[in-house]
Amino acid sequence: MPTVRLRDASEYPAPIQKLFEMAKAWFNYDFPQPPAMSRVMAWDPELGGFHGRAMKRAMAPGEFTRAEKEMVAAVVSGVNACAY
Amino acid sequence: MADDALWYEAALLVGVTNALNVVADSPLDSLEPASPSAEAQAVFGEIRAFYDRADVPLAFRRVAADPGYLADLWGAARRAFADNRLTRRHKEALAFAVSVTTRSAFGAAFHLAEMRRLGVGERGVMEVLGVTQMFSSYTKIADTLQLEPDMDGLAAVDRSPAPGGTAPKREERERAAPTRPPEAP
Repeated sequence: MPTVRLRDASEYPAPIQKLFEMAKAWFNYDFPQPPAMSRVMAWDPELGGFHGRAMKRAMAPGEFTRAEKEMVAAVVSGVNACAY
Repeated sequence: MADDALWYEAALLVGVTNALNVVADSPLDSLEPASPSAEAQAVFGEIRAFYDRADVPLAFRRVAADPGYLADLWGAARRAFADNRLTRRHKEALAFAVSVTTRSAFGAAFHLAEMRRLGVGERGVMEVLGVTQMFSSYTKIADTLQLEPDMDGLAAVDRSPAPGGTAPKREERERAAPTRPPEAP
């Protein structure tokens, strides 16, 4: 169980809710609520904005495809023993 | 990447990568035989050919005192890293990410060199490093807050059988993986 109360998307200000819509498009999936990680990163937009852009830059297709990079992300998460 | 075969292949690669790294990164210099046996030398020849290099990676040299074990370890490593459903180039990127994440000096250097040898440019290296770094951040944020998985509905379940096997009957399938509605976080 999370150690904090995850706020619903509706509790965030309007500009952040726009970012949540972008997250939906990124994952191409209609979440009932934005993913927990998106809501956590939105807590501090000054950090989350940079972090999110760095992530999107790293994950964008380049020498490796997005799918190949998703697998890199998955193995890193696995090695870090992260269930999320 | 919805096909389970790709993920099985990746997981086996992660395991073998870590197996090689733990031996190569440990203070085990004294285990390396000064004069490997002819049997070990034969395996070394295969390893040199696979990696197209004059020397044999440390992880293999250190287990050469038991040529039978060396041969089996090499067989598993060769299978793990060879082109299969995943390309060798992609596998080296995965191994590099695993090695950086586990702070393996041997693995990070070795798989970086292999990525470059297989044609990955500096941009590609930075891409893999960036993904590794970003997801080393997300995972720790998630662990600190003990976030629960909420993206498991993104990918469909692969119902194909094990290699060479037969698919389970419908009721067995449903018992093994009951469908459930998406959960709100």
